[in-house]
Amino acid sequence: MGLLNWLEMLPLSVWVHESPSIWAQPTVMTFHTMGMGVLVGACWILDLRLLGVSRSIPLSAFRWVFRAVGIALVVNVITGVLLFMARATLWGTAFPFLIKILLVVASASTVVPLRKYVMSHGDTGDVDSRARMWAMLSIAAWAAAITSGRLLAYTVAG
Amino acid sequence: MPSIVSVNVEHLHLISNHIPTIGTVVVLVLMTIAFFRKDEGLKLVGLEILFAVAVLTLPVFISGAAAFQKLRTMPGISSNAIRLHQDVAIYGFVWLQIAGFIGWVALWRARRFGRAPKGLTIASFLLTIMSLIVMGRAANLGGDIHHPEIAGAATTATDFLQAKISNIMVNSPWAWPSSETVHFLGLSLSFGVLLTINLRILGAMKKVPFSAVHRLLPWGMLGFGLNFITGMLFFIGQPGQYIDSAPFYWKIVFLVVAGANFLYLTVFRKAWAGNDSPNWQAPGIDKAMAYVSMFSWLVVLYCGRMLPFIGHSF
Repeated sequence: MGLLNWLEMLPLSVWVHESPSIWAQPTVMTFHTMGMGVLVGACWILDLRLLGVSRSIPLSAFRWVFRAVGIALVVNVITGVLLFMARATLWGTAFPFLIKILLVVASASTVVPLRKYVMSHGDTGDVDSRARMWAMLSIAAWAAAITSGRLLAYTVAG
Repeated sequence: MPSIVSVNVEHLHLISNHIPTIGTVVVLVLMTIAFFRKDEGLKLVGLEILFAVAVLTLPVFISGAAAFQKLRTMPGISSNAIRLHQDVAIYGFVWLQIAGFIGWVALWRARRFGRAPKGLTIASFLLTIMSLIVMGRAANLGGDIHHPEIAGAATTATDFLQAKISNIMVNSPWAWPSSETVHFLGLSLSFGVLLTINLRILGAMKKVPFSAVHRLLPWGMLGFGLNFITGMLFFIGQPGQYIDSAPFYWKIVFLVVAGANFLYLTVFRKAWAGNDSPNWQAPGIDKAMAYVSMFSWLVVLYCGRMLPFIGHSF
């Protein structure tokens, strides 16, 4: 509790939480949503390709996805930390929030084996079943992460 | 909020309410001529206009709902007559959106395979007739609003569709949260597809022919469709919290821009005519379109997320 209290009392946290400025919480939240759209959208496009959509596009053409994922991940970690700090005592003690973070971490970890696969299998036609399994896992995990995140507004902060 | 838009919203509806009826008539005429002349190009023009009419009917519907909130308490105006008009307009809107969607699928297939499939073309033609009939009735009932002496049906009507949808959206503990969740999932899917296509136009994935990324468009349509349906549920459920909101109007404006761009991405020819090949490079004008597309979707998202903060919606 002490640490969470200290986090919440930092001037930056207080500003994000209490400033009436449009640049405080509203903008941080909006960037968090934009980052989500790019991050999950880019992952899903790659997953769809691995599952057989647009098979004519060589896998190597999808390497831009990892750069987009990287940028969006940085944006969302920064905005996410800011949003957490703003109400640290609330989020830090809420079980639904813990679930959301675990789902986000699980979803983001699927990028590692997917990246490894795409980087080593340039342009070959068939995708092996392990990679397809990771792709399906990635689709489901991101969907669960978004769902749990959106519902935080009702389960915790409602 | 006394912005220019909300002050004139009744006017906006009076001007734009002709789009769904006149627009569908134009579509039907063009497609009929195309059928008799066996003119494939004209048929596609008809389908393109159908898509545009479906997109433009969104602001018509929004402005009508806004006008209702402004006019309902005026003397000499029958609130029931407006509600009846609105209900029929909802049905007409749904028919027209389905027609526009089927027309879009036909256009997408026409771009891929050279000609629009017969079944889909006939289906969109019939759906357009259906939309015209229902929209015609809605227009008719709209006229009754100012003529309560002939608005017979309205005085007895009590059970309104809009009220039912609103009741579910407001009172069900899960309707609003689950619609929001679907809205966020759909947003991510559309973003992924549009990012891929626009990045290709801007020069990423140079080795990939445009037709290969064009293949992804229906997935973008799926994401957008989910958001369109859930978005309409929010709006019909709680119109009062949107019609005075400045970011909401900007969101609609940029949705129309994004819709025009989506049509362009579906049908534009340059990437296909004879050079549907790897290493295709987009001309400057198409690169500009790609930037407009990405910018529009970002503005749509920004305005949507800002609704609770710049306006007062949730």
